[in-house]
Amino acid sequence: MSSSPSALLSVTYVEPGYRHVVELVHQRDPDARRRLRSLDLAVYEPEGKLLAEVSIDPAEETLDLAAVTAGPAAGRPRVMAVFDARYDERIFPYRPHHYGFLHREGSSSAPLYYAVGAVLGGVPQRVDNSRINNFETYVFAGGPFAERHALLLGNLARFAPALAQVFAYYGPERVVRDVSLPPKAHTEVTLEPEHGGRRLERVEIKSLFRMATYVTGRRATSGDLVLFDHLFTFFK
Amino acid sequence: MATEGGGEVSDGLLLCYCTMLTVGDLRSACRDGRWPLPDKEPTGKLCTGCLGDLLYLLRAFEREAPA
Repeated sequence: MSSSPSALLSVTYVEPGYRHVVELVHQRDPDARRRLRSLDLAVYEPEGKLLAEVSIDPAEETLDLAAVTAGPAAGRPRVMAVFDARYDERIFPYRPHHYGFLHREGSSSAPLYYAVGAVLGGVPQRVDNSRINNFETYVFAGGPFAERHALLLGNLARFAPALAQVFAYYGPERVVRDVSLPPKAHTEVTLEPEHGGRRLERVEIKSLFRMATYVTGRRATSGDLVLFDHLFTFFK
Repeated sequence: MATEGGGEVSDGLLLCYCTMLTVGDLRSACRDGRWPLPDKEPTGKLCTGCLGDLLYLLRAFEREAPA
């Protein structure tokens, strides 16, 4: 194994009004705490403009993401938070994982614990993995706890615009939407809860290259997030 | 070469987070007619996240390369 650093770019989205904490490394062995070599955070507005860059101390266990992004996120519905991690493959033979804790301040809704989505890296050359991962999907569980669903979509490219297709499935029917995003831009795509008398069952995203994708579910009355999850690769 | 935003493309910028290919590696390989480099062939094919930028830069560097 090499001592040269490996790299991982992971993404989440931050909305004002939520407690949002990120576990920098999801530890699996309490007797062998693993650390990243370095971690940088960049924050982008929906149009792709860089709002802030912060170097994070990799010795810390967690990051108060809401506090760090409070300034850049103020007055905006949402910002994209990009984590650029460098790590030693001898310590992380596959790759590190960041996890997030999310809870709306003052809300009675349950907090959410989620895996921060890896967009660049995560399939290092040394790992034999030939999955196609620019086609992703999410199957919605039944149940009325989330009445409003949406897809959060971001383009992590530095130079290339992204063209993506979003497919929402309602039984035998599907609704297709094209989305175009400049570099580092992100958007929310609303998913209608019903179509043709059938409820939303599944969503897919297809694009030339992998994008930063999450599904959200909110309560209709309060708007509280009750679902926040990255999509999953379609083909395995 | 400049980006669409007007900034210069830094050679030290990490392009592929899976193969650890930098912009400088790609620029010099294109200039010398050595792309794809032997150990960087999976660039753009693993996580696919860099594929858009890879194609963008390949077109740009091929334009810059001597005939």
